Amino acid sequence: MRAREESALAELYDHLAPWVLGLAQRILGDADEAEDVLSDVFVQVWARINQHDSSRGPLVPWVLSIARNRALDLLRKRRRWSRKLERVAGAYEVEGATALDPHAPGEAGVPGWPVHRAVHQALEALPEEQRHMVTLSYFEGLSHAEIAQHTGTPLGTVKTRLRLAHQKLEDSLRDLKDWMR
Amino acid sequence: MSDWIGMGSTPRTPRPELKERVLARAFNARPMGNLWGLAAAAGLVLALAGSGVLWQRAERLSQRLAATRDTLDLLRNPGTRVIPIPVVVGARTGELTIFADTVSHRWLVTCHNLAPNAPDQAYQLWFVTERGMRIAAIMRMDGDNPMVLALDMPSGAGKVMGVAMSVEARGGSAEPKGPMLFHVDL
Repeated sequence: MRAREESALAELYDHLAPWVLGLAQRILGDADEAEDVLSDVFVQVWARINQHDSSRGPLVPWVLSIARNRALDLLRKRRRWSRKLERVAGAYEVEGATALDPHAPGEAGVPGWPVHRAVHQALEALPEEQRHMVTLSYFEGLSHAEIAQHTGTPLGTVKTRLRLAHQKLEDSLRDLKDWMR
Repeated sequence: MSDWIGMGSTPRTPRPELKERVLARAFNARPMGNLWGLAAAAGLVLALAGSGVLWQRAERLSQRLAATRDTLDLLRNPGTRVIPIPVVVGARTGELTIFADTVSHRWLVTCHNLAPNAPDQAYQLWFVTERGMRIAAIMRMDGDNPMVLALDMPSGAGKVMGVAMSVEARGGSAEPKGPMLFHVDL
């Protein structure tokens, strides 16, 4: 990638596009917007590949962070907060059944599936209230204060639950590595 | 760590035709390195332009300094005569001062407190020479600001014997036609 070989970006697309698209669609809930994000992400990755420091972390989380930020930017820009907030609760219920389903039909052959299962298991291992707040924070982009307001939970409790959740996730996911070479 | 959470989402296989479009867009986008290069080039141009502006300012200051030194030399010259002339226009009295350098045959003329001209008029200063009146300067006074003039003696007109000032049309006149404000023999 750093040598700016176009075939390398094509290969990265094959490995990561399904995950970028899935993440964008999970955040935006809109297939067309998710495709826009997918396109933006790979443009940014190609333009900024020299900014990725492999000594500080794998490539996949870096790409996913670009995707998440882009999707959340779009979400905020289009002022869909009210609608999103209304369906957060429902989406959370659906999340457990489908979005984190490691056995979703037709997708198990996607590269990176073992990583997906590991992340899924790590999230499933969290206490429900912690997992709920991680979902609100990561996929909905809500601040601590917004989570507190939305869930009717004291702000301090939100911070504590998120801190505990991230500690557990860090322990569980510490050994994950990029799956492509 | 937390960025692995994105892998918790269900993957979505993109439409096959999307890949070509996305990659084409990525390859056609201008890399950031080139943008930085453009920014650097733009900065260089601005720096060069800035240095050019500074050079021009330095040049102007140098010219003004030379002119100031020249004026001081004229004022310090023992042969310079100082000729104050009151100028009365209506109820207002101003002053015109001539510093006449008899060595270099130049005049430095300062005007203070002259009444502003009517919009269609101007003061006109005249050399009174052996061969008649010669135009020295046309002074359009639109305000109360002092005015300083550096004048060379007219060539081919013989000895300058005096100075006069009249009020003429805005564009000046080849010979005095308007009211004469003063006529002083030197």
